[in-house]
Amino acid sequence: MLSIILSASVLGTAPTEIAQGADTYQGARPLTFEHQPTDSPPLAILCGRLFTMADSNAIFDPGMLLIRNGEIEYVGKPVDIPTDYEVMDLGATWVTPGLVDLHSHIQSGDWRDTNDMVMPTNEVFSTRPAIVSSNPNMRRACAAGVTTLFGIPGSGTSISGFGVLYKTKTSASYEEIVLADPGGMKVAQTNNPERDAGDLGATRAGLSWLLEEVNDRAIEVRDQGIFDPTLDNLRRIQSKELPVLIHCAGSDGVASTVRMWRGTYDTRSVLSHGSFDGHHAAAYVAKMGMPVNHGPRTFNMTYGIREGRFVNTSKAYTDAGVPNFSLTTDASVIPQEEFFLQGTMSAHFGSDPYQMLQALTINPAKSFGIEDSVGSLEVGKDADIVIWTGDPLDPRTSVESVIIDGDIQYSRAEDGQWF
Amino acid sequence: MKMKNILIGVSCTLGLQLAATATSGTPDLFALRVGSAETVSHGTIPHAVILIEHGKIVTIGQDLEIERGIPVIDRPDWVAMPGFINCYSRAGMTSFGSNGTVPSVQSSTEFYASQAIYGDLLDVGVTTLGLYPPGNGIPGQAVAVRTSGSSAQDMILEDSVYLKMLMRSNASSKKMIRKAFEEADDHKEDVEKAREKWEKDTEKWEKDQKKKKDDAKKNEGSSVKPSDGDEDKGPGDFVEPTPNGTAAAFIDLRKGDLSALISIRKAGDYLHLVDALGEEDFDWVLRVPLRDDIDLYEVADQLAEDKRTIIIEPRLTLMAWTMRERNLPAELSTAGANVVFVPNGDDLNSHKKWRFHVGHVVKRGMDYQSALRAMTLGPAEVLGLGDRLGSLDVGKDANMLFFSGDPLQPASRLEMVMIDGEFVSDEVVR
Amino acid sequence: MLLKKKRFLTPAVALVGAALFTAPILAAPFTIEDAEDEEPDAYMAVQGGDIYTGTGEILRGATLLSKNGKIEEIGYNLYLPKDTEVVDAKGLRVYPGLVALSASTRMSLGTFAPGLEFHEFTPHNEFEGVCGDCGKSLEEIIPPALDPGETTTEHLAVEGIKSDFDDSYDPFNGYLVMALGNGITTMQQSTTALKMLRGRIDGVTMADKSMTSFSWSGFNPSGKADLREKFRAGNQYLIDLRRWQELVKKDKELKEPSRKGIDSRVLSVLQGETMAKFSSNDRDDLLGIARLAQANKFRPVISGCVEGWIVAEELGRAGAFAIVTPRTRSDRSEELSRESGSSIENAAILHAAGVQVAVVPANTSVDLGGISGRDLLHLPIEAGFAVRGGLSDKAALESITIVPARLLGVDHRVGSLEIGKDADMILCDGDIMHYQTFVQYAIVNGTQVYDKEDEIFYAHIRPRGEVAVDPGEAVPEAVEAE
Repeated sequence: MLSIILSASVLGTAPTEIAQGADTYQGARPLTFEHQPTDSPPLAILCGRLFTMADSNAIFDPGMLLIRNGEIEYVGKPVDIPTDYEVMDLGATWVTPGLVDLHSHIQSGDWRDTNDMVMPTNEVFSTRPAIVSSNPNMRRACAAGVTTLFGIPGSGTSISGFGVLYKTKTSASYEEIVLADPGGMKVAQTNNPERDAGDLGATRAGLSWLLEEVNDRAIEVRDQGIFDPTLDNLRRIQSKELPVLIHCAGSDGVASTVRMWRGTYDTRSVLSHGSFDGHHAAAYVAKMGMPVNHGPRTFNMTYGIREGRFVNTSKAYTDAGVPNFSLTTDASVIPQEEFFLQGTMSAHFGSDPYQMLQALTINPAKSFGIEDSVGSLEVGKDADIVIWTGDPLDPRTSVESVIIDGDIQYSRAEDGQWF
Repeated sequence: MKMKNILIGVSCTLGLQLAATATSGTPDLFALRVGSAETVSHGTIPHAVILIEHGKIVTIGQDLEIERGIPVIDRPDWVAMPGFINCYSRAGMTSFGSNGTVPSVQSSTEFYASQAIYGDLLDVGVTTLGLYPPGNGIPGQAVAVRTSGSSAQDMILEDSVYLKMLMRSNASSKKMIRKAFEEADDHKEDVEKAREKWEKDTEKWEKDQKKKKDDAKKNEGSSVKPSDGDEDKGPGDFVEPTPNGTAAAFIDLRKGDLSALISIRKAGDYLHLVDALGEEDFDWVLRVPLRDDIDLYEVADQLAEDKRTIIIEPRLTLMAWTMRERNLPAELSTAGANVVFVPNGDDLNSHKKWRFHVGHVVKRGMDYQSALRAMTLGPAEVLGLGDRLGSLDVGKDANMLFFSGDPLQPASRLEMVMIDGEFVSDEVVR
Repeated sequence: MLLKKKRFLTPAVALVGAALFTAPILAAPFTIEDAEDEEPDAYMAVQGGDIYTGTGEILRGATLLSKNGKIEEIGYNLYLPKDTEVVDAKGLRVYPGLVALSASTRMSLGTFAPGLEFHEFTPHNEFEGVCGDCGKSLEEIIPPALDPGETTTEHLAVEGIKSDFDDSYDPFNGYLVMALGNGITTMQQSTTALKMLRGRIDGVTMADKSMTSFSWSGFNPSGKADLREKFRAGNQYLIDLRRWQELVKKDKELKEPSRKGIDSRVLSVLQGETMAKFSSNDRDDLLGIARLAQANKFRPVISGCVEGWIVAEELGRAGAFAIVTPRTRSDRSEELSRESGSSIENAAILHAAGVQVAVVPANTSVDLGGISGRDLLHLPIEAGFAVRGGLSDKAALESITIVPARLLGVDHRVGSLEIGKDADMILCDGDIMHYQTFVQYAIVNGTQVYDKEDEIFYAHIRPRGEVAVDPGEAVPEAVEAE
């Protein structure tokens, strides 16, 4: 039987300090979250099957976690629990790290503030002002085990702006949810930004030129040490300080994306979507060492060369040996709370289910350089923990509770079942 | 006439000794000696000699001796074969069709002879066309024409060669066919009713006559006599009521006086067609436009079992959902169906390339002789002219093509076209 | 007649047909012709599988024997007649075929593969059309597969043709094969229940018009009042009619009550010929429907039923059926103090309250665009979300088998594996509700219509013999840390 022992203060939120770089442009100041000592007592979790999702691939059955000040203090087999800990004895449940989705548009609710369609490149924009923290979509996502999101603008323009990495705490302010701001940049390389308005960017040639032109200016700024507020965020992309997520699809789009962001420019770029017949370029993606954030389409049937069968494109990328494979919903193309189902359906179509769990947790964290905080259950990392009634990939499994930064954000027993 | 003048040119360039009638065109009787002849009906004849008289083939065989005095055209480098026949065409026709059931419409009524396309088609080896009526449903009957001539009278070979129908998997389409046969049934009933009435009338009339006679006997001696004008001639001979257009056509179908060409789009249509036809027994051939994803292979066994004639383009198609090639002409032909080819389109270029497309299908596995047949005797039979056209046989029209080599090889040139024993042109399209 | 069509009849159905007409045949003198028509009995045995009957027991390692398309026996150590076709089901689970409600008509009409428009080749300037009147081809009338929009026969009727599935069924179309490959053997097309036969067109329609649609909406108060009155009048008429039927025995002069003004659709519901179907999500509307049904003694079918969980008890008392999509999401209304919006527990709460729950996916067509798990091909996934909300696995299986069969009026033939019912079943390589499970074989009317190995769509995914493992077992070089 499940029993949860909680002290009232666990649900209180930790005070947050905003770290500001004095020499950085204010508009693009990095926000980082640091765990502070809290009044909440440390927490011990006893569970069934514990997936650490660490590089060791360790699974503990039964397992135990100790949490203090929002961070993981111990992960492993059950050991004697020191006396001052509150204990959650969860029985035969499965435990994983919180899921991480790098391509999400739910920061303001459903499809609001996605595309500003005046200028073709908008490297000065950020989703920060659009964030409605703890909105119903975030809360539902949390109740489905999704704890970290990269909230980004749409793909209507070649550079639609910078996104924010945030957590899906169910009742918190912007300052309390943000993990990194800016978390990275969003680029749309092919398809969607192709504008038929008669202006520049009607063709792929035009789009590429637009991107290269602005990137070259950022490199100039970087190399000459000039401070240009309009180019500073892009300079940080070109200085590999921040990652960039690039929307593209089709084998041609995938190939040209990799060529530009890994070949022409040496960036911390992550390929987004890679859908339709994009998997035909998977070997090239692997060779160039580019991580893939795949979805919302995870199979191909009708685009490009018709093979007449359901091609599992997730498997095509992993089989090709891309260095890092993760999944995405492009929420709300697929509702954010159904993020796990991307792994489920890929596994249905033949992918390795553990690999798909990695694609929902540690892999996206690694590809965005936030694996020190999230994506796996390891000592010193954020205590973002999901407790499931069974296999997380099984739609029949429900989420018992979700802990973010050591605080219980959702508990089915207390709150009722949100999803 | 144009043809005759051309022949002079031909004979001069060929440097042949044509006896007697050179000035008045092709001789009535002459012999052709060619490298080989593709007879279509009985294989290839090497060193073939073909004797032609009054536009008909009178003798054909290997190394036959030619009687002295008969003009001989000697072309050991030529390969002869029957003229191409496109049995399903709208070439030169422009009108749009109606919808619904109008089987009495004759496409010959819209045939306009003096059009360049027919001469052009003849130049590329098409000697006969089946022209079908336009429209949906049951739009009417096709006409067979030769591609040489200057008037409809001159060109029309046979009218009412087939009744065209369109069949789709839906209730209205199936109902349409059933209803048309019902009209034929109704007419039969009408005839029976009319006959019954006629019989009754006749009986009554005869009775009346007898009564009159008796009365006359009774009244014999009386002064009153029937006047001549009052004489009753009675119902006379029985005259069958005339069927309406639909009934007439479908009665003809049942009687075997008319055949049908039924166009379908996919394998499923064939099952619905068979279902709609039920026990109706008549001659019909199938037309299926070969689209990329055609699933006709699903019913290949049934088509073969029925020995069905099926009119298709010489095309490779794709297996549904894939880009994998399928050679349906070869598959159907191998299975035992009677494949008949039509060019990929009705324009001149499609006819020019027709034999190349057929050659491609052969290269990918279709039987060579079946392929030749599918462009000649096969379509001739569809037009009901199999006893007159489509093969090099004694008694048949001397419609012939002469190639510099294998007719299905792109490198071979079409050297000469002959229609009804007359050479056509020196402007042979190469 | 039968001889002519025999080619498209399997022996099984020919005999089912013959059986139906046994009486007249027996009455008539037996002729040699009749003997020629007769086919030997066709037996099929599905041997050694775990048989999930759907409504009853689970029989492990049992055998199911079908005769001429009907289930003859289920059990152990069965006597198999000579020439029985045997399907080895060892290690497989045998379930009743799934029943898909509101399926897109593309499933039975079929189209050519999507993407064709890029390759289409028009050989002749043929003026060919599908319908007598509109001059359009079938493909023009029915949008290509890339458009997930629902196509109904009503839509076709607008275009000028009347479609009858018996006359339009395409038994070769790929969507059909995909549906079979995902376990569906019966589907609703428009108002018709179709059996998913392959390669033949006879015996496709199983039932027609089992439901009559009514509108009940808070946006149309007068419509609600109208309907209430129609049902009241209909009930009164039936009472009067019954009374008259009794009294007329004594008094032959008594006048029969007039049917004038009585809604025939309402009457068909009240007389139990059809079920009344409503599409409604709002709590108040659901309550209204429940009360209308209770007052007039009929069992309503409610499609949508998103807020059903709030009024589940009332719906249960009204004997309602609910057609739900468990994943449906609508936020709680901030203006209302009461409960509102969707709940993942909807199906479970309704079921617990006695409502018969059928599950339909978010998209009742086939989506080949790349997003999976939301369309008709993944009914068990959708039902899985009902289990997530608390429904039992058994009830979830019922929600995609016997309950929809009841709604379509074909539960006497399909929806569970019982003796006398149609031998429609699927053989799965695992728990049908598990995400890694694939249908290996589908059998309809005692004839195998699908074999995963033989079809292009899924054969390459975990080829037969390869076993799926759960994420815990699939760990590469799992290291047990200290």
